[in-house]
Amino acid sequence: MMEAMQNNSLDPVTFEVLKNSFINLVDQMSEQILRTCYSFVIYNRDFSSALCDANGNIVMQGTQDIAVHVGTLHLTAKAIIKDFQEDIHPGDVFLINDPYRGGTHFSDVRVIRPVFYQQTLIAFIQSNGHWADVGGSMPGSFDVSSKDHYGEGVRIPPVRIWSKGRYLKDVANLIVSNMRVPEERLGDLRSQVEATKVAETELLRLVDKYTIDTVLVAFSEVQNYVERLTREKLKELPNGTWETVDYIDMDPDLGDGMIPIKVKLSIKEDNIFYNLEGTHPAIGCFLNASYGSSLSGLYAGTKTFFPDIPLNSGFYRVIEANLPEGSVVNARWPVAVSGFCSGPYEKIINACFELWSHIMPEKALACSFNLEYLLIGGWDAREGYNRFFMWYDWMAGGHGGRISKDGANAMSPVFGAGLSVQPCEGQERLTPVVTSYHEIMIDSGGPGEYRGGCGAKKGGTLTAIQDAVMSVCCDRSRSVTWGLFGGLPSNPHGNWLNPETETEEFLGAFFSNVALKEGDSFTRPSAGGGGLGDPLKRNPQHVLEDVIDGYVSVQRAIKDYGVVIKAIDPDIDQYEILHEETTQMRTYIRCNRKNWLTENPQIVVKKYKNGEIDKLDLIRRYGVIIDFSTDTVLEKSTQQFRNMLNNRSAAYWE
Amino acid sequence: MSKLRVAVDVGGTFTDVFVFDEISKKIYVEKTSSTPANPEIGVIEGLEKANIPCEEIMVFSHGTTAGTNALIERKLPNTALITTKGFRDAIEIRRGTKLDLWDAYKDVAEPYIKRRDRFEVTERTDYSGHILVGVNEQEVKELAHKLKRRGVEAIAICFLNAYINGENERITRNILKAYLPDVFITISSDILPEIFEHERMSTTMINAVLGPKISNYIKTLENKLEAKGYKGEILVMHSGGGVMTSENVQRYAGRLASSGIAAGAIASKYIANLCGFKNAIGLDMGGTSTDISLVYDGKLKMTKDWYIEYGYPIGFPSIEILTIGAGGGSLAWIDAGGSLRNGPESAGSDPGPASYDKGGTQPTNTDANLILGRLSPSLLDGQMQLKKEHALQSLQPICETFGYTHFEAADAILKVANANMSDALRLISVRKGYDPRDFVLVAFGGAGGLHSAYLAKELHIPHVIIPAYPGVAAAFGCLLVDYRHDLTQTYVADIKDVDKDDLNKAFAKLEEKAIKLLEKEKVSPQNMQLIRYLEMRYAGQWRSLAIIVNRPIVSLNSALDKFHQEHERAFAFSNPDQKVEIYGLRVEAIGTVPKPELAREKPSGSLQAALKGYREVYFAEKDGLVRTPIYNRPCLPVDSLIHGPAIVEQLDSTVIIPPEFTATVDEYKNIIIHVNIGGADDGSNAKQFIRSSNI
Repeated sequence: MMEAMQNNSLDPVTFEVLKNSFINLVDQMSEQILRTCYSFVIYNRDFSSALCDANGNIVMQGTQDIAVHVGTLHLTAKAIIKDFQEDIHPGDVFLINDPYRGGTHFSDVRVIRPVFYQQTLIAFIQSNGHWADVGGSMPGSFDVSSKDHYGEGVRIPPVRIWSKGRYLKDVANLIVSNMRVPEERLGDLRSQVEATKVAETELLRLVDKYTIDTVLVAFSEVQNYVERLTREKLKELPNGTWETVDYIDMDPDLGDGMIPIKVKLSIKEDNIFYNLEGTHPAIGCFLNASYGSSLSGLYAGTKTFFPDIPLNSGFYRVIEANLPEGSVVNARWPVAVSGFCSGPYEKIINACFELWSHIMPEKALACSFNLEYLLIGGWDAREGYNRFFMWYDWMAGGHGGRISKDGANAMSPVFGAGLSVQPCEGQERLTPVVTSYHEIMIDSGGPGEYRGGCGAKKGGTLTAIQDAVMSVCCDRSRSVTWGLFGGLPSNPHGNWLNPETETEEFLGAFFSNVALKEGDSFTRPSAGGGGLGDPLKRNPQHVLEDVIDGYVSVQRAIKDYGVVIKAIDPDIDQYEILHEETTQMRTYIRCNRKNWLTENPQIVVKKYKNGEIDKLDLIRRYGVIIDFSTDTVLEKSTQQFRNMLNNRSAAYWE
Repeated sequence: MSKLRVAVDVGGTFTDVFVFDEISKKIYVEKTSSTPANPEIGVIEGLEKANIPCEEIMVFSHGTTAGTNALIERKLPNTALITTKGFRDAIEIRRGTKLDLWDAYKDVAEPYIKRRDRFEVTERTDYSGHILVGVNEQEVKELAHKLKRRGVEAIAICFLNAYINGENERITRNILKAYLPDVFITISSDILPEIFEHERMSTTMINAVLGPKISNYIKTLENKLEAKGYKGEILVMHSGGGVMTSENVQRYAGRLASSGIAAGAIASKYIANLCGFKNAIGLDMGGTSTDISLVYDGKLKMTKDWYIEYGYPIGFPSIEILTIGAGGGSLAWIDAGGSLRNGPESAGSDPGPASYDKGGTQPTNTDANLILGRLSPSLLDGQMQLKKEHALQSLQPICETFGYTHFEAADAILKVANANMSDALRLISVRKGYDPRDFVLVAFGGAGGLHSAYLAKELHIPHVIIPAYPGVAAAFGCLLVDYRHDLTQTYVADIKDVDKDDLNKAFAKLEEKAIKLLEKEKVSPQNMQLIRYLEMRYAGQWRSLAIIVNRPIVSLNSALDKFHQEHERAFAFSNPDQKVEIYGLRVEAIGTVPKPELAREKPSGSLQAALKGYREVYFAEKDGLVRTPIYNRPCLPVDSLIHGPAIVEQLDSTVIIPPEFTATVDEYKNIIIHVNIGGADDGSNAKQFIRSSNI
């Protein structure tokens, strides 16, 4: 910290006050958006805000901004500068949501306001909010099967929406008329535009108090400070190269076979290089990422290991990345990229976690559950409602096991740790969907010396609906959330329609346009986090505590941990560890577990079908990946999954 | 005759007594060790020590940190949570968020009720209040049997959508009550009928875990006071900045989660105002923790979104306070990585710091202050003797690990403690856009005066006020408030369609409840003040604004106008053409209580007369021991000017005026330290605070 303060041309107190005032100005803008927005997606914190300098570089992001927007806001500011150049005036406000110009996906609509001081452009204030709908063929603007962007929603390249203080109503109407519930979109627009005005006022107050020169120096000094701080920390780390691979479940056009995303990290002196060469080409559904969002995954994955460093362009200067053009991590126009968040983004960020875990084991983190969201859109036919409704919901799930403690249970995804799970009572008031349960799922945490956090499951029933359809955007039904340093995977994603009825149907982790009728029900699991360390080394007492709390079942305590527990009087939490049996069971597993990973997958599936082993055995013991709608082996995916298990888990077993 | 206003504030380490004599306008204070296992013992001891004839007490106000400490230390009764089938984890899944978005190793605290103690019953109410599945009596009876076997002492019941219809909750409670007559039961629809299951469940949970402990305690105390001759009620301070009586405490125990803390904030606002400051940061540093509050433009920050630990909101309106685990009793320790840490673990009052000679072996901030000579070995007018040799011994591991002398080790401990507190001060000031240079620091609590000058210097705060009775400021705060209840209810309706009669009825129902609460507190009708708030928002928005409305509501037009105006003021825009909806109702019920009026003093006596002697005190900035004058605070004349280094001692606290700092004494006997922020101080900074120099 002291080192980083050197060469700063401002006195320490002024610098500290201005640095924090910038954070505060951005947070104030966020607070206002939260209090005035219309989209429940924004309200539940899928938004970010930033103060950019006159060149579009980030001076400061907000403290509660979600990870996925990190390192993309300067790209969209620069897109505005590039397109409008000298034609930017006081009182102008711009709009952009273009993923091919640095945006993330169409739903993330960015409002950008230039700030002038005495006729000189000094800054841009930016507000990025996820609008509940931006048009396209599917409610909520998520069509998982789309291959290009035309059906996904309205693409907004850099567009002026306020000109010299005059609202361009016609332009705004042109845009929102292509969206569902246009009045609410205008409400979101207004909320964001006014919030940027609050930040402008605050910035101009700082200019009045501290002078324009001081504020402009502070703009660059806070970026320099962050850069110096980051480089100082990098100098303490070893130089070297680390690489790994993570997978998207599949390309629907290709069938069996997981889609590799390769990440190679090099640290050289005080620089970080990421090379994603060798990553699979873009795929035939919307789980592709544009350049900006993949970059964001790398920035956010890195930042997790430098939690104390504030976020601005100074941090981004330290990181260089090669994202092969045309690949699934840098898809070209007009390839569909709206599902980047469930697809490449989650893989990149977790791959970064793994790589940095080798460099800083004290901060190690196994894989966390993949972002999962479900959309039901249709007509709400309840009495007094009679309107279009959208039930748009994302799950909490388990985070990866850590070097000294278990992973966190049922949290928001790493995609956005600040993203807030919606209250069921609010949802039930607004939509004809009744939640039947929303609870932690037993045995969902990946086994490890430190267990992955538990995932959750949520079930719902449709009441008075008409013309409703359901879509899900998720991943990791095959590329199951993995363990690290000997830890084991958690559980596969995938949703069921009308579970435990005659019409039960497995829908998978990725589908759209499934028609629903009144009385239909569904259930969704979210994965736990991967385990960290050899599960046979877990303290049996911790396994016992997990059993008492219902995080782990007595059966899986035996299978996953080799800990044999006898229930004496569960009503009053009386259980007992059978130590001798535990020693025997652990020896048995230790002697056999590597062989299980080479057993013929067809034979394994036979055992599964006749009930000798269950779904979690398939994945955790045998590394066999099957299609749950047909119960058939996916040979190539199994091969890839077993390789992955060997590298991340078996290689660490004695 | 009844003439005494008495306030007792029980902290983690000390129990403080503040007495104001209504006739003579005199103040008496007393301090005794807290007795955490049975706090009422400490209260009675304090009253006895202060020689208070209980029959002369006209008002007895009480603040207690028992609730906060119980939550933080997880010293809670065996409590069960009962929810709708499928929702027992709502309290663990919460909203899924965390406080620190980036540090994957910083976790949200575990729920106050473990998963093993969370049970479900088959029942369901829908969004409109319609009961879809009624309570199965047999199932609840079986559950009651199980809970009995588990030795449950308290139960929280929170069902889905009970905010709109609490019938299933009430039925369940009644069945359980019959089987478990001695168990404390709280239901969500009674205490906080507001939408959103996690927030309501969290509040209910906290009400349940605190209920038995706190209500038993208040009842016991009431009986003891009655036996000693006090005929009135105990007024208990709550987080909203008001008081309530024991009967209501039982129902709203969760409001006591930061009782004493709120009192301190109120005192700091009052004192800053006396000294002419509109902006103040209150720093209440006690034995186990430090509470920081902020007054801006004469108003304390309030919030409905608060918690003792992140993730577990308490939905009752409250004064906004930041609490950190740093106090006189905070333990200094060496962590696994070999670095010197301070807190949040505390030695509390039992065993207390090593020098208390009550079995503590680890060093605390108190021990460090003792070794440096800042704290006298003889405290509380000689009633308490600190053992320096124990303090020295406790420092041994730190001296050995780092190769420090005892002085260096003690100094290092305090520097770490001060850095932690500075960070917290930054968090609520600079971090929120407030420039500390525009504020005064009001420092109190037993340890506030020992640390505040250095904290102010660090943050460039120009002045520090140490109130006349800093060790009992929170107790003083308890005498400055009214009865207060805040009742809320979710009520969603389009303002154009709303039936005014129905709305008036809904308000009247809340008011009826509020009046009953005040009546229980024996507030006469002319002293009752009821304020109605309508929570309003543009249809489609998610948050609302509270607008004051008339009783009864004749027309909603003026409320509507006020809403647009308020939206314009708060967010710089409004939209009069848009549909507006009502989202909730709130009634603020106040029962006014007369307040004491402090006497002003005239300069008399000399500074020399207040000099008790000299002590060798270690100051790192002077590279060692400095012969430092020690003053007796009660004898300090009004308008004195003191040059640092100096130490001012009084019954319950010690004030350090470091080298190069100056201090003055005002007519209310507050000490105002003028901070040497840097550069030479010729005393001119201090002199503007002296009206007539008598030096």
